[in-house]
Amino acid sequence: MKSFGATMIWAGRRFLSSLPALFGVLVFTFLLMRVLPGDPAVFFASGPNAGKEEIAIIRKQMGLDKPVPTQLLLYLYDVGRGNLGRSIMTGQPVTTDLRDRLPASLELTFTALLIALVSAIPLGVVAALKSGSVIDHGVRLFCALGVCVPTFVSGLLLIYVFYYLLGVAPDPTGRLDVFTSLPPPRTGFLMIDFVLAGDIDGWWAAFRQLTLPAVTMALFVIAPLARITRASMLVSLGSDFVRTARSVGLSWWRIVVTYALRNAILPVITIAGIVFSTMLGANVLVEKVYSWPGVASYALDALLSSDYAPVQGFVLLMASVFVAVNLLVDILYGIADPRASMG
Amino acid sequence: MRVMYCRPMFSAVAVLALWLAAGPVWAQTRAETLRYVTGASVNTLDPNVPGTTREAFAVSLGTYDRLVSFGRKQLNGRWVFDLDKITGELAESYDVSPDAMKITFHLRKDAKFQDGAPVTAEDVKWSLDRAVTAPVLGKAQLLTGSMTSADQFKVIDPLTFEVTLPKADKLALPNLATVYPIIINSKVAKANATAEDPWAIAWLKEHTAGSGAYIIESFKPGEQVVMKRNDAWNRGSPEKSAFFKRVIVQSVPEPATRANLVERGDADLVIDLQASDVQSLEGKGTLKVVSTPQYNAVTFISMNNQIPPFDNANVRRAIAYALPYDDMFKAALFGRGTPLFGAMWADGKPTTSAYPFQQPVKLDLDKAKEYLKAAGLPDGFSTTFSFNVGQASTAEPMSALVKESLAKIGIKVDIQKLPDAQMSTQINEKKLPFFTEGIVAWLPSTDYFYRNFYTGEQRWNYSSIKNTELTAIAQEARFEPDKAKYDEYGKKLNAIHFAEMPQIPLWQPNQDAVMATSIDGYTYQFHRQVDYRDLNRK
Repeated sequence: MKSFGATMIWAGRRFLSSLPALFGVLVFTFLLMRVLPGDPAVFFASGPNAGKEEIAIIRKQMGLDKPVPTQLLLYLYDVGRGNLGRSIMTGQPVTTDLRDRLPASLELTFTALLIALVSAIPLGVVAALKSGSVIDHGVRLFCALGVCVPTFVSGLLLIYVFYYLLGVAPDPTGRLDVFTSLPPPRTGFLMIDFVLAGDIDGWWAAFRQLTLPAVTMALFVIAPLARITRASMLVSLGSDFVRTARSVGLSWWRIVVTYALRNAILPVITIAGIVFSTMLGANVLVEKVYSWPGVASYALDALLSSDYAPVQGFVLLMASVFVAVNLLVDILYGIADPRASMG
Repeated sequence: MRVMYCRPMFSAVAVLALWLAAGPVWAQTRAETLRYVTGASVNTLDPNVPGTTREAFAVSLGTYDRLVSFGRKQLNGRWVFDLDKITGELAESYDVSPDAMKITFHLRKDAKFQDGAPVTAEDVKWSLDRAVTAPVLGKAQLLTGSMTSADQFKVIDPLTFEVTLPKADKLALPNLATVYPIIINSKVAKANATAEDPWAIAWLKEHTAGSGAYIIESFKPGEQVVMKRNDAWNRGSPEKSAFFKRVIVQSVPEPATRANLVERGDADLVIDLQASDVQSLEGKGTLKVVSTPQYNAVTFISMNNQIPPFDNANVRRAIAYALPYDDMFKAALFGRGTPLFGAMWADGKPTTSAYPFQQPVKLDLDKAKEYLKAAGLPDGFSTTFSFNVGQASTAEPMSALVKESLAKIGIKVDIQKLPDAQMSTQINEKKLPFFTEGIVAWLPSTDYFYRNFYTGEQRWNYSSIKNTELTAIAQEARFEPDKAKYDEYGKKLNAIHFAEMPQIPLWQPNQDAVMATSIDGYTYQFHRQVDYRDLNRK
C-alpha cells in the first residue's frame, strides 16, 4: 500500500476529475426542471384571490421572468458563491434547508447501514457455511421478504406493532419527541450532539425515535448485502488458500474470518457504498412514514410543487455525496486489498 | 441446532422491545398543551407572502389580530363561522355611516403588541397600507371589498381609524376579518425594513410583530411551529386569554400515522385524515369527530366551454346526466359531505338564491344520449379527464366511475393524473378539456362566487365560460343593498348555471375534525383551518 500522503494526492486528483461530471449534473438538472411542464409560479399563487399579478410577483421572485440562458448564468454564478437559491415551499434558502436536513438523513442512513451490515454479514457467512441447508433457505426467505416488502409497508407495519399495538415505541414523528428540547446544534447529528451536551435523557429519546425508521430501512437493504456476502464467501471458501488453511489445521475462526471473510469482503464494501448513496436519496418513503425531516422527502415535496431551487440543490448534493462515497469506497478497497492499484 | 441459531434473532427482538419500552416522562403541562398534527406545513409567519400555505394562515390567526373577526353560530349542532356577525378584535366597536361609505373603528384602549407597545391607529394604517400597496396577497383580497389605495385609510386620533369606500360595499367589513389584513407593530417592522423592502416582507416572513393570542416560540419551516400563550391577550369572546398555554403544530405527512397519533392520544386534533380512517375512528367511538360540510367550498367536474366538443351546451348537459353521482359520492367521500345533485325543482326553476346549490341532475343515460344526439355526436367522442396527485385519494376512485359510466354513452375517457404544479399550470393556460377541481370562497355570497369563478379570463374560471348576461347580473348584484332584489339576482344566476351547465358541482366535502374527547370549542372557520384560539380542554 502506498503512503498516506500519496493516497491523499491520489484522492484529490480523483475528486478534481469528477468536477466536470458535477457541473454536467448541475446544468442538466437546471434545464430538466425548466423543461418539465409545471409552472411553479402558478402553483404557488394559489390563494383564493391570486391572479395574474401574484403569478408575476412569484415569477420575478424566482427569477423566472428572465430568459433561460440568463437564468442559467445567474444560477451558476450563485452556486459558485455557495448560494443555491431560495425555496418557495419552506421560504428558506436552500443551503439552510439542506444543512438542517442532511444530518437527519445521514444519521438515519448511517444507522440503518450499520444495522444492515451487522446483520447481513453474519447472515451471509452463516448461509455460505451451511449452504443448501434449512438455515440457508431461511436466510434467503428473510432476504426475499425484506426486499419485496416496500419500505412504507414494513414501516407502517412496524409502527402498527411497536407503537400502536404494544405502545413501546415513541410516536413516529420526526427525530425527537416534541416535548424534549433540542441539544445545542454542533454536528447536527442528534446522537452526537446529545452526548456532547451531556444530556443522557435526550440521547435516549433521540435513540428511541431513530430505532424504528433505521430498522425499517435496514430491512430493505439487508438482502443485497447478505446475498453478496454469501456469494463471495462461497467463492472464497472453495478457493485454494482456504483448503490449504484447513489442511494445515488452522482454527475454524481463523479460516472463516481471517482468510475467507477478508477476501470475500471486497464486493460487500462496493455494494455497501452503492447501497448507502441509494438509501440516502431513495429513503423518501421511510422519511414520509416517520415524518423524518430529511433531504429526500424535502426534494420530493419540492418536485411535486415544481419548486426548482430545492430540487436542483438536492440533485447537486446527491451527486456530490455519490462522488465522495465512491472515493471512500476506493480508498477502503485499497486498505482491504493491497493489490488494488490506485492509479 | 435450529433453536440455537434462532436465539440471537430472538434476543435481538427482545432487546429492541426493552430499549423502546422505557416510557417518556410527560411534562406536567401536557393537559395545557395542544398538539395539532397536519399533513401540510407552515412556510411563513406572515400570511401575506405569495405562496403561503393554509397552515401558515392558521398560525397567523393566533399570532396576529385583525381589526374585526367573524362571530360563530350553530349549524346543525356544529359551530361554524358566521359571516353576518362581525365582532371587534382590535377594534372595540365600529360605526358604519348611513350611506355605508365610511367605516370608523374605535380601537381597544388596553390592546398591546407582544413587545408591550400599545396598538395605535398609526399601526393600523401602516398595516392596511401595506396590504393594499406592497406586493402581497392581501392586495387581491381587499380589492374584493373595494379597498385599493392607502388614501382610503385615515388616522383620526391614536385610537380612532377610518376607512372610506368609493361605493357602498357589503364585503368591505368582512374583508377586514379575513386572514390577510393583520395588524403589525409598525415601529418594529419599520426598524427591520430595508430600502428595497420598505414593507419588511422578508423580515416578517421569519419573525412576528403582532398583538395576537400566541407568541412564536420556535418555527421550523416544514416541520413544526411551537407557540406559547400571550397572557396579556384578551380579544377572545369571553374577554380572556386563550385556553392552551402551548400549541404545537407539527407536520406529519403520512395520513395513517396521523390517525394512529390521534387514536393513541398523543395528538389532540387533526383535520386532514383520509375519509376511510375517519369512518373507522368514528366507529370505534373513543374520539370526538366533528364533521362539518364545507359550505363555502365546492368540488366540480369541470369542462372547458371553449374547447370542442365541450363548447356545445348539449354535450355538457349529456355529461351532467351520465355521471353516476351516488356511486361517486360513496367511492370518493364515503358519503361524508353534502351532495349538490339530485334536487327536485318542481317548476324547473331554482329554489334558492344561494350558491353553491343543489342542481336537479341525476344519472339518466337515456336523457344523456338524447343530449348527445342533439349535439350532433350520437356516437360519442374521445377525451381526457384530469385530476391532480394531491387529490388522488378522492379523485382516483371517482374518475374510474366517470370513465365507466361515460363509456356507456359512447364517450371514451382517458384518465390523466397530473402533479399538482402541472395541473395548476394547465388550468391557468386553459388547456384541460375535462377535469375535476375544487374551489373555496372565504366570503361566500352568491355574487362573489359567480364573479370569481364564472367570469373573465382568469384561472379560477375553470369552465372558461363567457356569458355576458351572467357577468352583468353578478356585477349588478354585488352592490345591490335590497335583500329581495339580491335574491332575485341569485336565482337568475343559478338558472343560467343550470341551463348552460358550464361545469357540474358534485358535492361539498366534509371537514372531518378528529379530536380527543377532552377537546372542546372546535369551530369550522372560513379558511378551513383550526383557529387555535377557539379551543379548550374540559
